[in-house]
Amino acid sequence: MSTLRILGIGSPSGDDQAGWLTVDALLAAGVQSTVVDIQKLDRPGASLVGLLGDADRVILIDAMQSDGAVGRIRHFAVDDWPAYRHGLSSHGLGVLDALALARELGSLPSRIDLYGIEIGSANPGALADRRIEAAAQQLAQQIADDLTA
Amino acid sequence: MSEQNRTVAIHVPVLARVEGEGALDLRIEDGNITQLRLRIFEPPRFFEKFLEGRHYSEIPDLVARICGICPVAYQVTAAQALEKLFGVELSPWAQAMRRVFYCGEWIQSHSLHIHLLAAPDFFGCGNAIELAKIAPDEVRRGLRIQALGNELMDLFGARSVHPVGVRIGGFHAAPALSRIRDLRDKLRAALPEAEALVRWAARIPMPPDDQAFVSVAMRHPTAYAIETGAIAASDGLLIEADAYDAHFAEQHEPHSTALFSTYHQQPYLVGPLARLNLNHDRLPVSIQTLLAETGFTLPSRNLFHSLLARAVEILLALQEAARLLDDYTLPDSPWAPVTPRAGVATGCTEAPRGLLWHRYEMDADGRVVNARIVPPTSQNQGRIEQDLRLSLLNFGLDHPDDALRLHCEKVIRNYDPCISCATHFLRLNVERT
Repeated sequence: MSTLRILGIGSPSGDDQAGWLTVDALLAAGVQSTVVDIQKLDRPGASLVGLLGDADRVILIDAMQSDGAVGRIRHFAVDDWPAYRHGLSSHGLGVLDALALARELGSLPSRIDLYGIEIGSANPGALADRRIEAAAQQLAQQIADDLTA
Repeated sequence: MSEQNRTVAIHVPVLARVEGEGALDLRIEDGNITQLRLRIFEPPRFFEKFLEGRHYSEIPDLVARICGICPVAYQVTAAQALEKLFGVELSPWAQAMRRVFYCGEWIQSHSLHIHLLAAPDFFGCGNAIELAKIAPDEVRRGLRIQALGNELMDLFGARSVHPVGVRIGGFHAAPALSRIRDLRDKLRAALPEAEALVRWAARIPMPPDDQAFVSVAMRHPTAYAIETGAIAASDGLLIEADAYDAHFAEQHEPHSTALFSTYHQQPYLVGPLARLNLNHDRLPVSIQTLLAETGFTLPSRNLFHSLLARAVEILLALQEAARLLDDYTLPDSPWAPVTPRAGVATGCTEAPRGLLWHRYEMDADGRVVNARIVPPTSQNQGRIEQDLRLSLLNFGLDHPDDALRLHCEKVIRNYDPCISCATHFLRLNVERT
């Protein structure tokens, strides 16, 4: 039986909740019953590697910052991840670092979908922008449709 | 221009968005080090003021926020200090589970440091991703061990990051027996992996070094000191936590906002190698035998042995946690009742990076009048500067600037200070005259 894991990554800081809001929207839509595991993670660091290896497919949603409009959704295929840019650290091991590490270790699932939601500010304790909430709803719907297709 | 006339200035500007912010200024003129200053800006300084006026029941959760890697150390030290002042006697169950909880933190912190930060240095790799190309099995093993540490912290703290399980008098809750047994079995199953980690770490070629320094660590009459014990030094000192101020001092240096600690006016070492130097006779016989097989002799005067020391402490922590969980039973209550009283409380434990000392003045309502927290990184700060100076002279100042930078990074990472999380944190400004 194939296993599917959905991971929404974020922190309680304004728009950085984008991944969490997407998971909330998926749960509200009743997706949980169709998947093995759905989780909200707060900066998982190296422990993300362990969450990738034992699933057949992983859908990972995180906030991203580039030069796009706030709320823009981007999908990255496994051969199309943004370039690794930062030094590894125990405090700040990022999602891309963990993915790169998992790839080197042969711990990636056979299918992995990485979604990024373009964010604006990430102030601790602040609410997410309405455009982020809308993007999370839209992405959740997109994922739900994909799973039932 | 000859190398003798070369002037090298290494300046590291302030780092942002890392748990500990730091900077290193190094200047070499005519073959001599004329300036070497390490600046670390310690987050706990602010917490001491945050704590004033707070009720004792809030302290464990507040101090857990000082560090994302070693929150258990801050919680357990604060609890130990306040329980001593309030005359609370922990139940045998709570005493044992505090040690288990702490073992989880040692396991995760040490494993992260070895595999993500320190080991790549010794394989010519820039980071753990590069290390994973040439040593994938070892990195995988490290991540598995690290995950067990996180599981232990999660089990007693409800979450592995900034856990919330500790309360003054014990724990808020006792984990169910089924969860304990499940994790105990995983810990036991990981023991051969931890032994293999020690053997692997012992085979990594380390730069030769031989420096004289004082090791400071806690010491317990029978056990390897983690969450309880007296403060010892390699020159024979043995004191209780409340005598700390009579022997150790913190002082400001003009170049840093952090405090520098000294022991009898001298820099000193805290952390895994200091602990092993002082307490290798408290290791279980099986680990002492393993170390004898690897040829690792203690005490060591080579700070590059810090990586191996962490591996040894991972094995110890796994053994200890599994042993203590063997006898687990659900307690009648996971905490003892507490009645606050006014006075001064001191406590100390061995954080993954070394001795952690707390002092609280409390009022009769159980609120903090003032607090002092001396973290391991500020205690090691003077030793790191001393080590950098000696190591660079041993290494040779005529190496290219990049080689000097890498050597400085390696030396600093031996201490696992908060700033070590910035793997490549040295930017070189080179002046030549």
